[in-house]
Formats: sequence, structure tokens, C-alpha cells
Amino acid sequence: MNDVVATPLENPLRAGLRLWRTPEPCIVVIFGASGDLTSRKLVPALYNLARERRLPGGFSVVGFARREWDDSTFRQVLLEAVNANSRAGPVEEALWASFAEGIFYHRASFDDPAGYARLAERLAAIDAARDTGGNRVFYLATPPEAYAEIVAQLGAHGLNRSPGGGWTRIIIEKPFGRDLESARDLNRRVLAVFDERQVYRIDHYLGKETVQNLLVFRFANGIFEPIWNRRYVDHAQITVAESLGVEDRGGYYDRAGALRDMIQNHLTQLLTLTAMEPPVAYDADAVRDEKVKVLRAIRPIAPEDVERITVRGQYGPGSVSGRPVRGYREERGVAPDSQTETYVALKLFVENWRWAGVPFYLRSGKALPRRVSEIAIQFRGAPTLLFADTPVNEIEPNVLAIRIQPDEGITLKFSSKVPGQAQIRPVTMDFRYGTSFGVASPEAYERLLLDCMLGDSTLFTRRDEVEASWALLTPILEGWAAGAPQDFPNYEAGAWGPAAADAFIARDGRAWRRL
Amino acid sequence: MNTLPFVDSATIEGELQRLWQETAETTTGGEAVTRALTLNLIARATDLAMAERISAVAGELVASHPNRTLLAICRPEEAPPRIEAWVQANCLLSGPGVPQVCGEQISIDARGPVTAQIASLILALLAPDLPVVLWLPGPAPFDDPLLTRLLGVIDRLIIDSRDLADPAGDLRRMAAFDRDPGTPPGGARRVTLSDLGWAALTPWRELTAQFFDTRPLLPHLRRLDQVEIGYVPAGERLNPMPGLLIAGWLAACLDWTPLEEAVSVEGATLRLHLRRPAVGVGPRAIRLVTIIIAPVGAPGAAPGLATLRLRALDGVSADFHVQRADEQGHILTSAEVAGHVPVRRLTRCVAPSLAELLAAELRLLSRDAMFSAALQTAARFTAGLESPGTSTGA
Repeated sequence: MNDVVATPLENPLRAGLRLWRTPEPCIVVIFGASGDLTSRKLVPALYNLARERRLPGGFSVVGFARREWDDSTFRQVLLEAVNANSRAGPVEEALWASFAEGIFYHRASFDDPAGYARLAERLAAIDAARDTGGNRVFYLATPPEAYAEIVAQLGAHGLNRSPGGGWTRIIIEKPFGRDLESARDLNRRVLAVFDERQVYRIDHYLGKETVQNLLVFRFANGIFEPIWNRRYVDHAQITVAESLGVEDRGGYYDRAGALRDMIQNHLTQLLTLTAMEPPVAYDADAVRDEKVKVLRAIRPIAPEDVERITVRGQYGPGSVSGRPVRGYREERGVAPDSQTETYVALKLFVENWRWAGVPFYLRSGKALPRRVSEIAIQFRGAPTLLFADTPVNEIEPNVLAIRIQPDEGITLKFSSKVPGQAQIRPVTMDFRYGTSFGVASPEAYERLLLDCMLGDSTLFTRRDEVEASWALLTPILEGWAAGAPQDFPNYEAGAWGPAAADAFIARDGRAWRRL
Repeated sequence: MNTLPFVDSATIEGELQRLWQETAETTTGGEAVTRALTLNLIARATDLAMAERISAVAGELVASHPNRTLLAICRPEEAPPRIEAWVQANCLLSGPGVPQVCGEQISIDARGPVTAQIASLILALLAPDLPVVLWLPGPAPFDDPLLTRLLGVIDRLIIDSRDLADPAGDLRRMAAFDRDPGTPPGGARRVTLSDLGWAALTPWRELTAQFFDTRPLLPHLRRLDQVEIGYVPAGERLNPMPGLLIAGWLAACLDWTPLEEAVSVEGATLRLHLRRPAVGVGPRAIRLVTIIIAPVGAPGAAPGLATLRLRALDGVSADFHVQRADEQGHILTSAEVAGHVPVRRLTRCVAPSLAELLAAELRLLSRDAMFSAALQTAARFTAGLESPGTSTGA
């Protein structure tokens, strides 16, 4: 059987409340094993899962890369990486030794057929030696240009199907395509080899606890859903701000830009989770069906509207958190006359019964003053003036803000009387994760890797979802490309984006939230 | 911490209010102090040493469950008769930029006959609209007068089976309480029983269950003939409770039924005899399972479970073993099954602290049905386990 469907095992010892599900023993094959993502995120996440007893005995990792390493060099590299990057601090020697027994290195280049033939043999040998039952996860942590080649090679060598009744799944990192056409093309190539149910397109934002809590908050409480619509909501603001510049990713970033790098994936996910209808069940397809419906309901963007509903920015030299920051065009790998945007603000309308007429403002940028992600729902104001000496426009509207990072929590702002005075002042009701649940949230990658091994694709992006988001945003890319060159840079590093972004939202009589 | 001159609930509430006002005033400039309450935790101590231990646990518990702790120090045998009370904030040390979260604690020390009044004081001091949990550490929780007085208001009773004086009798009383806590008729809430001793077994159950998440190994679960459970006793006292609960758990999950003469005792070793459901047909289909529970001597080792081994001896041999690898919190698991390569792995499993166990129990919103099943099954073994002077329980 080549699974594909997550069949729950009927292990009677799993009955009851407390025991976490653990996946079956499997081999995770990481393509791009010598890369940054592997050392910074993937292997620390896997080690922490093992440390917390969430992985079974026999669990193995195979690193696939070109470098001339062997098993022991690779283990040493990963040991240093985990020591440097694990949320649990340096490894415990005895534990690492046990974990490292299951780490192997496979040297080959992505386009070398012989390398895949040897990989198939190697995996069979590990199955035999560690009883992993033919279960595999292929993780594409390579530059996106290599995805199609790797997928084709896996197919050509029969690695898309498992021997002996196991399952095979593939995780594909973002970016998934760079516009609608390339995303469709990549989907076609991937789905020529794997079934959709084997494919896990990862967006690590969905692994964040607060993002998952958005659905719990909306659908496990009775009091929010009745006001979660056009009748009560004035508008929504979704912000993902980064204080860092492009660092050493200049080469990649200059070909991508903020719309591809952030809006198409992370902000679109936040938008769909905020706007979606209640799913009929909390399962992978029901949840994703509703998300896709949101994307399909968004008013398509006509080329002539692009400049009106978007604002682009690029940072110049400045300072963030008291430190001087180079301008974007001075970064390594960036063209000195680059037209790539490092900031985007846009306004979208979800044209369905729930949201018609309610603008969703999205903004994301680099070299902004703070690293902060949040979704803010601003409600309509009180309809009439009741309190003397307080002009109605001075009463701040109610805002429900869901902070995703840092300091995760939910805040509701409302008006209150100042004691002893006839004045009204906004106050907040605050829920902070840190104060109600004193436990550290697991890293997003831990959650997502585990979900994939367990065969749960709820928190991964489906084919139609990724294509619908590209279909929505590709006209913006085209509109920008066709328009006049921008006068970049147009904001100083350390400012909240270009002045045009403030004017953009002010035209609608609104303002960006101060974060 | 101020000792109050006169104890009534209004004075104590007033003192609490003053405490929070002072706290708010003294923390200007830094991160604000957040007072947070997610439950009422009533904890009973029988002496000052126990009270100190409970206070320490309550302080740690703020990290996961900020709460109002009502510490009742009940010393009915001591003189002079009086009740004293004091209040304190239990705060979590926080890093820069992180709000300081505080719960609060009211301690009531009662000596002599007035101890009987402590329950009424507690009732007046419960924070409204929050769950009420009663924690009764020590050897005889079910005989505690506080339990009888508070039965109608509590949502959960927490005990620790590792402390119990008479394993056989107490196991039966636990099972009886779990079946019917004796809540007054017409009461809206059902009291749930929690056992910190059971909570301490979670990692062991987890590691045992993990063997059988592997598809090819799952069938062996139905073929087990023998289970060996080794525990390190606490001091001189033999308390096979963890072993009995694990045995109850396995039997409940795998439908093993205790035989008529279910228990034989050889020195400190218990043998439990059970029948497992038939696999196939014919005279060989019905098989017996033996569970052996024995203390293991490891000088200096921490009390608790030390080894758990599940074996199929008849036909294809299969051996699943979870055991302590050292005293630094590492556990070795190994699966050796004919026709498969042996799989061994070292994993981390630091024995949880009392506060961590308590936090794990408080995280449960409902009854742990698996615990009930394990407990009821384990209680059935105790018919053959009479110890002198044991009451037969409720």
C-alpha cells in the first residue's frame, strides 16, 4: 500500500487522554542537508521531538547534499547546529549519542540519477537495520529551482512509493512558485509523481500556536462569531513586520520581494483564517475547503487598480533599535538600482455575505522598527454621542487584536470612565499566553514535522489553495512590472514604511495601528 | 506576609486587597505585576513541615496554573486552640519584558478543637466562578474530615497513591471513591479523583505504548504472556501501588481478566494471574498472562518504577523492555522480536516534581477514563492482598 491516507493505528494502549500520538518509525530524508534551514530549524526540531519522547525508536534522518561529508562529519555538523539553535539549550550527550545513531549522510547531487539509485538502496538498508518499515518523509529544504528536478528523480527511481506497506510523503518549503504560472507548473510536476495526499506544502506560520488558536478562538467561543461580520466590523489590519533587513539572503530576496516572500504565504494564511466560514469538521480537507473559498471570494485585482490598492516601499539607510542599518540597495546580492519591494501594503475585499464592503488591510516589510505580527479587527464605533464633553470621534473604537509574535495573546480594547472625572479613556482586556499557560510553546517546525509524520495535513497548504493565492496576487506583480519605475528607496530603515502607506489608509479615513 | 490578629473571611479578603494594592504601588517603573487566578487550590497540611512543602509547590505551580491557594494547616491534637491566618502573593520570577505573574495564597493554621471550623472559613474564601480542587497529601486522605465537609463544592480531589499507608485497602477505597464519591444527592457536580502516583506513570505508559505504534509489532500486543514490573520502594516501606496501577492499565486496555485466585505472594514479590482474550480457536487459544511485581534493590535509587518488561514467550518470541538507564533521568527502551532487528534507544525521562505532577492533573478538564479503568481493574487484584489491620474501605 502506498499510503497516503493517514490510517490511525488501533493501538489499545493509546486509549485515554494523556498520551500524545507518536508516529510510526520512519526515515526523514532532507534534501539540502548542508543548508541553513537544516541546521537552524529542522534538525533542532527533530532532536527536541526525540528528547520529548515524541519520536519512536528506529527514527532516522538521512541528509542528502553535495558536500564531501560522511556520516560522522554530518553528525558532528548537526551536533554543533543543535547546540547552537535548540530551544532546550545544548544537547545531553547520552541522548544525542542515541539520536545520532540514526543520522546518515548521503552524498549526491540533485541531478545525478545514480545518486538516487544509491539512495533507494541506502533507504532499504536503513529500513532493514532500524525497522523503519519503508516509511519515508522527503523534505525539500533546497533552493526552489531544485524542486522539480528532485521530484522527477524521486519518481524515476520509484522513491515516490514505499516498499512493504509503508508510506511516503514529501514536504515542500516555500516559496512554492513565483507566480501563478510557475506554481501551476510546479504542482503539475509534483503531482505527476506524488498524489496530492502525499504532498505537504509547508508554511511555518501555520505551525505557530497563536495561529492555530485563531480557529479555537473563533469557533470554540460563542460570543465572537455573531459579531465577526460586516455588520459590526469596520475593517481588519493584518501586519507582519520584521525588524531585520535581508541579511545574507539578498540574492534570493532581490528576485522575490515582499509580496512573494511574505504576502503570498504568511499574510494570506492569516487572512484566510480570519475571514473563513466555520468548517464542517476540524480535518484537513474541511478546513482547507473554507480557506480556499475565502481566496476565491476576494475581489480580483484589475491591472488598472494595482497602483490604487497597493503601496510599495524599499528601505534606505537608517537605524533600527539604535543600530545603523545599510540601505537595501547596499546589501550583498542586491542590484544597486533594484526595484524590488521590501515593504507592501494592500487593501483587499472579501466579497461574500459575511464581509462585503469590509476592507482587509495587509502590510509587511523589512527593516521596520519592531518585529511584530498581529491581526487586528476594528469594530464600528458607538452610533451616537451620549456623553457630554466627549466628541464621538474621540471615543476610540473597539479593537480586538490577536498578537502572533512576540508576546502572544489577545487584547480587547474598550472605553471606560476615568475615575472621578467625566472623561472616557480606552482600556484593554488582555490575555497573554505567558500568564495563562506557563509552558513554552513548541517550535512551529516541531509541530509541522510531527503532523506530517502522523499524516495530518490540516496545517499544510493544498494545491488549489496555493494556486488561488497566486491567482489573486499575480496581477499585482504584473501591474507593478508594467508600471513606471519607483523612486526607491522611499523609507528609512527603522520607519514604519513609506509615507505613501500612511496616506493610502488615510484616504479611507483610517490609520495604521501603532505597534 | 502578615499574620492577622483576628480571623474571619472579611478580614482576610481585606488583607489580600491591601497586599495587591501595595504590590501595584511598589512596582512602578518595571514590568507590571499581573494577578492571575485560574482555580482555587485547597491544600491540607497536618504539620508545619508539610505546610512548607505545600507552599513551595504552590509557588512553583504559578508558572502553569496561577491560583488562589488555600492552605489549611490542621492540627486538632495541638494546643492552645486557636486559628491564625496570613496572606501572601506567589509570584513567578520573570525575565526582562515578561510580565510578572502572581497568584495568591491564604494560609490558615488551626490548632485544637477549632480546627473543625476551618472548612467554613475556606468556603467563604473561595474565589468565585473558578474550579475548586482539594489536594490531600499524606497517608489517609479518605479519612480526612475536610473531605467530608467540602465534598459538595469541590470539582477534583487529588491524592498521591505513593503516600498511602495500606496499598491494598487504599486501592479499594480509591476505586470506591472513583465509582461513587458520595456527593450529596442532587448535586450538580461530580467530583473527579486524581492521583499524582498515576500521573508519574505517564512517561512509562507513553514509552510502552510507543512500541506498538509500529504496525508490524502491534499484533504482539495480543500475544503477551508475561509482564515484569520492578519498582524501587521508598525507604523500608513496600508500596507496590505503581506496579498495581500499571498492571491495571495493561489489563484494562488489553481485556485481561483476573482469575479466581488472582494473586500469589512470595515474599515481597506479587504474581498476578490473568486470562487474555482468545486469539484463534482450539484449546491453545485461551492463554494465561502472569504479571510479576517485585521491588528492585538499587542503592540510592529514587523510588518509583524502575523497569517494565512485556514478553511473548510462546511461539515467536517478543520482548519489549522499558528500563531506567541511570539515575540522571534517562530511560532505555528496547524491542527484540523474532524476525525483526532489535531496536534500542535512550530517551530522556526526568522524574517529574510534585508541582509538575500537580500541574499535569490540573490540565485535565474532565475525568481520566483510562485512570478509572486501570484503578477499577487494579482494585480487583487486591482481593488476594489482605494486610493486617486493613479496613475494607468504602
